[in-house]
Parts: sequence; C-alpha cells; structure tokens
Amino acid sequence: MKPILSSFLQMLKSVKRDRMLVAACVAPLLVGIAIKYAIPFMEEILIAQTNRREILRPYYGLFDIFFSMITSAMFCFAAAMVLLEEHDDHIESYCSITPLGKTGYLISRIFLPAFAAFLMTGILLPIFHLTPLPPAMTFFFSLTGNLQGVIIALLVVTLSTNKLEGMAVTKIASVTILGALVPYFLPEPLQYTLAFLPSFWVGKSVCDQKLIYMLPAILETAIWILILLKRFRRKMP
Amino acid sequence: MIQVNNLSFSYTKQPFISGMSFSVSHGEIFGFLGPSGAGKSTLQKILIGMITAYQGSAMVNGVECKKRTKDFYEDIGVDFEFSTMYEKLTAKENLQFFSSLYEKKSRSIEELLEMVGLDRDGDKRVSDYSKGMKSRLNFIKALLHDPLLLCLDEPTSGLDPTNSRMMKDMILAEKAKGKTILLTTHNMQDAAELCDRVAFIVGGKICALDSPHSLIMSKGAAAVTYTWLENGEHSANCPIDRISSDERLKGLISENRLQSIHSGEPTLNDIFMDITGRTLV
Repeated sequence: MKPILSSFLQMLKSVKRDRMLVAACVAPLLVGIAIKYAIPFMEEILIAQTNRREILRPYYGLFDIFFSMITSAMFCFAAAMVLLEEHDDHIESYCSITPLGKTGYLISRIFLPAFAAFLMTGILLPIFHLTPLPPAMTFFFSLTGNLQGVIIALLVVTLSTNKLEGMAVTKIASVTILGALVPYFLPEPLQYTLAFLPSFWVGKSVCDQKLIYMLPAILETAIWILILLKRFRRKMP
Repeated sequence: MIQVNNLSFSYTKQPFISGMSFSVSHGEIFGFLGPSGAGKSTLQKILIGMITAYQGSAMVNGVECKKRTKDFYEDIGVDFEFSTMYEKLTAKENLQFFSSLYEKKSRSIEELLEMVGLDRDGDKRVSDYSKGMKSRLNFIKALLHDPLLLCLDEPTSGLDPTNSRMMKDMILAEKAKGKTILLTTHNMQDAAELCDRVAFIVGGKICALDSPHSLIMSKGAAAVTYTWLENGEHSANCPIDRISSDERLKGLISENRLQSIHSGEPTLNDIFMDITGRTLV
C-alpha cells in the first residue's frame, strides 16, 4: 500500500505544478455554482421573455447528470495528463520494475483519482443539484459519473502518446458523455442505436424516472473499462 | 542467483530467443555481449519480469520471473540505457520519490550523489542535466534500495573517459560488496575489464560463454610483430611462446637490425568476430 500512496502523492504534486491541471480540478466547483445559480436565473429570464411556462426546467435532470460526470471527468483528465507526461519521461517503465508494479501504478494513476472524484461528487452534487435527489440517486449519479471519468481517462491514455495528443483525444473522448442527451431528444426505438454508451442509460434513467436503468449503465461501463484496461496494459512497457 | 534453462521467447511467429541456458552466481559480474537486435535487452527484460510470455525457465533469486510478486523488486535494481527520471523535478526529489516505492530502508541520497560527483547538483532540475549527469543519476537510482542484483544496460554509454572510469570503479565497488551484476553492453573493453564471465549473444542464441581471459586464450596466445629493413621494409609475426626458436628474430636482435617490435594479444572483439563472424566496434 505504501508504494501506491507514494505514487498517488507524487501525482498530486505533479498536478500542483501545472496550472492547467489545477484549473481542471477546480472547474467542477465553478461549474456547480454556474448550474445552481445561473441556470435557474436564465430560466426566469427566458420565461419572462417568451411567456412560456417552462423552457429549461424539463432538462434540469440533464444538468444534474452532466454535473455528476464533470468532477470525475476533470480529475481523471488531470490524472491522464500526468500519466502521459510520465510516459514521455519513461517513468511508467521504471515504476513497473519496482514494488509498485504495473497494477499499483494504474491504481495510483487511474483508480485513486477516480475514487477521489467519487467522494467529491458525493459532496458537491447534494449542494449544486437542480432536481430533487434522494440519497440512492446521488450514489448512482456519483458512481456512474465516476466510471465515465475512468472511461475518458483510459481512452486518453490508450489512444494518445503525448500530452498534446492527449488533449485532442480528451475532446473526442468527452463526446461519450453526450449519450445522456439521447433519451431526451431522440424517440424510441431510434434512441437505442446509441445504447452502447453508458451515459445513454444514465440519461434514460433520469428521463424515464427509472433507477433500474442504472444497472445497464454500470454493466456497460465495466465492459468499456475492462476492454480499455486490457489495451492500455498491452501498451504499457 | 540466476538460473536460466532452455529459455525461448518470440515477439512474432519467428523465434527471437531460443534455447538459452546459463547460470549466474552470487557476487558475479556477468556480461551480455552482442550487436543491436541480438536479444540482449529482451533477455534482460525477461530477467527483470517485464516480459512474462516466455517458454522455459528463468529463475532470479529463487523466483520464476513470470510468477514474480512485488517483493521480487525489493532486491533488483535496474539502470536502463535511457533516462527514467521526472525531467521537471530535481535530482533529490526524484531519488526521494523512487526510494519511497520500496519497503527497504533507502541508502543516503546525499552520499549517493556525492559518490557520482553530483552533490552540488542535487537541487537542479533533471532537465538541466547533461547526458552524462543523467547517466550517473540513473545509475545511483538503481542503488537506492541496496539491491542484491543490479541490471545495468550500457552503463558507460555517453560518458567521457573520466566519468566512464568513475562508473566502472563504482560497479567494481558494488561487486566487492557482494552484489551480482548483469551488464548488457556492446563495449568489449568494458566487458573485458569488468566481467567475470561474458555470453556472446547473436540471433537470440548464446554463441560462447566463458571468462574474457579464457575466451581470449582459447584463440591462441599473444604474438610478437617485428619489422626490419632488407631491400625495403619487411615484417613478420611470431607467437610469444616460440620467440626463442625464431632464428630470424634472434639474428635481427644480435645484429641490431630491428626497425620495430611490439607484442599484441587478441581482443575480446577479435574473439567475438572469430566466433560469430560479426563485429561490434
């Protein structure tokens, strides 16, 4: 456990040295404040100007979904950037022949940041949510959002070889969270064409108000993570 | 310390390493010599557990390499040919981090830096180091946890003669402490000077394995080459153990007619060429 903790602390130091990564870790707080206060304020203005009963309110659940994913996505993005920089410095090669090993390195670089994001989402979501969120929903939001962050991090480190490529891949990988929009805007059965995205099921769960849809979301995420993890381990020296 | 039996490995369908068998005793410096792509680094990767999909057996410190656990690495120190340091951190910060990955108590970072003449540069970022400084830093990183086995990949590569000498003296000092050292190199002089035994590796196979001295002696003793003037310059060779029976040489000496005379013995590189038909230098 000591090598894993040392390695995790080293990653935090690397994040602290990079202003862009510090900003990424602070971003969820700013996004939370924007969602909590700016969205209802915009709704009031839009209603006043259009004389409609509601415009954004039906999509408040969607904002909660995106917020649940943003903390993990940002934390895992920071971790992925550190990992890519370490790849350039051959640190991962060296760590794999220390007691930390490949598995310990992956835990300290992907799963511990994801767990930290899970805790952070669990703290921030009850503060910044827009729809009523029972504890079970908060838990599942945190869990699925967190696993989505792991998918993004693994996509980034598997598909890119340096930080520059990593930032480009992050943009593409972030598209995977847009699956949550599909149940809101595409009719059945057409919407199921994007059912391979775990975020689709999270969106469906909130849109249809059925917690049971969290199960396929978690199952699909597990499959994505296992496949990406296998590919990443193959890529590791 | 190391037992390798009938070891084979392949990256593709073609065998890359085939049927290798050898052993390395505690406290021995064992050299892998061969041209690029011969299989030296792959063999080292197998022995340090980076490659596990091999056939046959490779035991290090009583542990089958493919079944290694994290404890396996408490007693292995590896110095790769390339730098494996955080470029943005100082040398001290790097060494502190890497020492924290081991359960064993670390050697003094200050002393290690002093040993390689980097004591004044410990607080400098690694990105500001020269290639030679990085090589020395990489080397002491492998010593941090005082391992029983040191795997060194081209440890003198890129070093000037002074630092190369310093590095070789440090390797010998580690051997004197009882460490087992695996040296991967294509520098025959280093191998001849440092290694107790060397293995010539070509095409994924061991072509010869013995002490440098025995390998050199196996191809004949040293010889004397001499020249003299007689209607132009002439030269001749004579094995050193047959000088007394070389009448021409005796005559030239007695008549003080020798232009030049020097002795020479085959180098490890000559032996390598004889055995493998290839050269390294």
